[in-house]
Amino acid sequence: MDVLKPQIGDWWHALLQGAGLSSGWIVFLDALVITLILLGLGLTSVLFAVWLERKLAARVQDRLGPNRVGPYGLVQTVADALKLLTKEDITPDNAERLSYNLAPGLAVFAVLMLLLVIPFGPGLIGADINVGVLYLVAMGSVGIMAILMAGWSSNNKYALLGGFRAVAQLLSYEIPMILAMSVPVLFAGTMSMEKLVEQQAHGRWFGVVMPAAFFLYFLAALAENERTPFDLLEADSEIVAGYHIEYSGMKFAWFFLAFFLNTLILSAIATTLFLGGWRGPFVEQVPALGIFYFLAKSFVLVFAFMWIRATFPRLRIDQMMAFAWKVMVPTGLVLVLVAAVFVKLPVAPLVRDVLLFLVNVFILLVVAGLVGRHLRLQIKRLSEGAAVVS
Amino acid sequence: MAQAQSAVATESLPYNDVIPGAVVGRDGEALIVNREKLLELARYLRDHEGYDYLSSVTGVDNLTHPKRQGVERFEVVYHLYSTKRGGGPLVLKARAPEDDPEIPSVVSIWPGADFQEREIWDLFGVRFPGHPNLRRILLWEGFNGHPMRKDWKEAYYEEEHKPYSSRWPYGHYPREEYKYPWQEERAVYKDNLVFPKGFDPDRWQAPEVEYRLGQDIYRELEKLKTDRIIVNIGPQHPSTHGVFRMVVALEGETILGLEPEVGYLHRNHEKIGERNTYLMNIPYTDRLDYINSMSNNLGYVLAVEKLMGKVEVPERAKYLRIIMAELTRVLNHMFAIGFLLNDLGAFFTPALYALEERELILDLFEAASGSRMMCNYMRPGGVAYDVSEEWVAQAKKLVFERLPRAVDELDYYLTENEILLARTKGVGYLSPEDAIAYSTSGPVLRGSGVPYDIRKVEPYCIYDRFDFDIVTEDGGDVYARYMVRIREARESLKILRQALKDLPGGPVIGKKKYTFRIPPGEAYQRIEAPKGELGFYLVSDGTANPYRYHVRSPSFINLTALGPMCVGHKVADSVGILGSIDIVLGEVDR
Repeated sequence: MDVLKPQIGDWWHALLQGAGLSSGWIVFLDALVITLILLGLGLTSVLFAVWLERKLAARVQDRLGPNRVGPYGLVQTVADALKLLTKEDITPDNAERLSYNLAPGLAVFAVLMLLLVIPFGPGLIGADINVGVLYLVAMGSVGIMAILMAGWSSNNKYALLGGFRAVAQLLSYEIPMILAMSVPVLFAGTMSMEKLVEQQAHGRWFGVVMPAAFFLYFLAALAENERTPFDLLEADSEIVAGYHIEYSGMKFAWFFLAFFLNTLILSAIATTLFLGGWRGPFVEQVPALGIFYFLAKSFVLVFAFMWIRATFPRLRIDQMMAFAWKVMVPTGLVLVLVAAVFVKLPVAPLVRDVLLFLVNVFILLVVAGLVGRHLRLQIKRLSEGAAVVS
Repeated sequence: MAQAQSAVATESLPYNDVIPGAVVGRDGEALIVNREKLLELARYLRDHEGYDYLSSVTGVDNLTHPKRQGVERFEVVYHLYSTKRGGGPLVLKARAPEDDPEIPSVVSIWPGADFQEREIWDLFGVRFPGHPNLRRILLWEGFNGHPMRKDWKEAYYEEEHKPYSSRWPYGHYPREEYKYPWQEERAVYKDNLVFPKGFDPDRWQAPEVEYRLGQDIYRELEKLKTDRIIVNIGPQHPSTHGVFRMVVALEGETILGLEPEVGYLHRNHEKIGERNTYLMNIPYTDRLDYINSMSNNLGYVLAVEKLMGKVEVPERAKYLRIIMAELTRVLNHMFAIGFLLNDLGAFFTPALYALEERELILDLFEAASGSRMMCNYMRPGGVAYDVSEEWVAQAKKLVFERLPRAVDELDYYLTENEILLARTKGVGYLSPEDAIAYSTSGPVLRGSGVPYDIRKVEPYCIYDRFDFDIVTEDGGDVYARYMVRIREARESLKILRQALKDLPGGPVIGKKKYTFRIPPGEAYQRIEAPKGELGFYLVSDGTANPYRYHVRSPSFINLTALGPMCVGHKVADSVGILGSIDIVLGEVDR
């Protein structure tokens, strides 16, 4: 509880000790309070993120967006959540009831569990386990299972297609994402989220040192979060809503919650791994600033997610898979290799960072050039060729 | 003696030297064809005379036509055009008696007849032996009878023609409770729920959809052991542009076959049209393609004028018609592009940008006609209302400054976008030959590289006075159709600039008329509506109501090509291909 230590933390511990509690109880209550804070932060951020998404999309589209409920429509999300609560809960005939009812809970559970290892501020972390990144990856995969369960159990063909796509897309994109995440891990030599943030002191952010890895992570996160141009799981213009098509009322709201929480958490992970986490000016003096920095950085990324969503059309499933396996996975492997080589390079840290940065930019440019060239060639071939049946 | 005369007459008829006995007479412009020889003649016309484009096939029931007593009851009318030569139609008529309503199907010669023959079977009960998939299209299997037959009466039928005497103020009714004679007690057919013989609604199952398999794809997939699933895309689906269903057979995500199912919005527009007077029909045409009501008005009014013979249209009205029709085209194309992007997965942004410009054009329509979408603006002999100076100034501002920029903006942001290119290039390919064979029209036809624009090849109104080009793209894919729309919007703006510059003064309509007595006869007028070739086929029996009123709707007939275009692509592409055809269900289902 470092973030609260100077003022509230001491008072809090004095209070507990005064009540005659043993140290075991104090640790337990500490953890409980932090969990509540984290949950509160996460869930209220979702309310804000939903509002932000709607407002942003509206601005991009030359509209006003929600502006009736509360100032600037800020309470609109609450109203919507209440509306969803009152809606009829429908279970389709012949649905596999167990998985159907379990899936929304599992989806939210999987995402909420991720909150545990994210350092929102100095010391404000549920559990600083030494395999934090591994935990993120493992827990993140549980969400895929929830989506698959929902898609399969709904007894709906659109949902089934969404489920297919979930397996194909999320599993494929998990690999480049893990590769991108392993680059800072390799570089820092630790999997603990706290230590990763520590390593990025003095503005030496891994995202700046290794922009290619950051970019790769960002793209993979777009796909993991089912956002355009990779929103094939729900593709409202094709398979209507994909895996959650049959869900209504609160169960739908849970999926919705999981979706937005996932956006936030993927941004939070990116912030921790690549953007220096809660680090920023004067954080040492005022630890509470850390939370602000962390949220600000995360929301910049969330903003980028939403911006892309409001701007781009969607890729097709085969194109998306090709992109994952033919572009992102090889790039990820190269990046891991580069990081592994540079981390052992016997030069001054600053020189190493600059070199790494240059190599990263070079890799980015080469990959972008190759992809662009391939696209142009393919388009040229398509415009010249006659009947094309893929 | 009579035999000799008919022999001489037959000799002088065309095509009889090639196929003896094919043409048995004339009816105005039309050639009456012996139905036994129809296929032979049709093949000859397509292969040797260049009539490769079957614009419209429709039926007529001659039962109560005063001038056609004694002729066989059903006739099927074919309007053939040549995409190579351009110019006017060759009209063929094949007739069939009441007890044997069968006419050989021409689908094998012009595949574009597919849906139209199904429609005739549905509405007239004329069978087409040789049709690959002859089942009802607009109505369902449990519908009793064929509604376009003259002896078929709808539930609560009152009279043959409007205005119904009961609806007049102080109409005659015998007792107070019969004040509203369309109420149930007085209805001729009390029970609305009548099924055909041998039809049990409880046991009814939707007919199995026949889908066309792309042979080579099928063989490739045969190696894998997979299950095929049938997915209904629609009728409630965000991307079908209305209530429309695509029955898709899928192997994984690949489409093996696709069959469009239409008719959810069917209201038998043509039957309503026959009840109405000529003038009453104009607002009904608004509801066909409700995005482009001005074009529909224009097409219908031109058809009526053609039927009336010589009609003087004031010069100012001629220009106003062009201006409205071309504004509609700009509007429609921007709209279509916006929603195509939506279908490709964009989150409404391009659509909303397009809608913004559309709203400005609709403001102009509202100022001119009183209504944004249901304009009801054109009249036989002119247009309904004049426009003010401010209107012209506003239109000029829009056409000279704002709209070109808006089109450029769409072009700038979309055309080079990699995702758009990747999603549209090579998708939904339609070869020029197929495009003609399937009777597609408008941007679909021109996107396949066929330079066929009715404004050029068979000019109507005063299009021959303006300088513009036929836009074609060679791609034949979704991207080509998209590009055609962008470039056509520019051409339309070019026409608009000329028309607004030259807009003369004067009246906009001659003497206003409320009823038309139109001499017996028939007319087929087609215009280049934004979505393609919009044709109106009118038969007059000399009364104030059309005897037969048929709409050749571009959306409906362009859909014929949807199935073949989608086969082999992914399910996501089917939505994009549908978007590139640009249908409006008001027009498809009529």
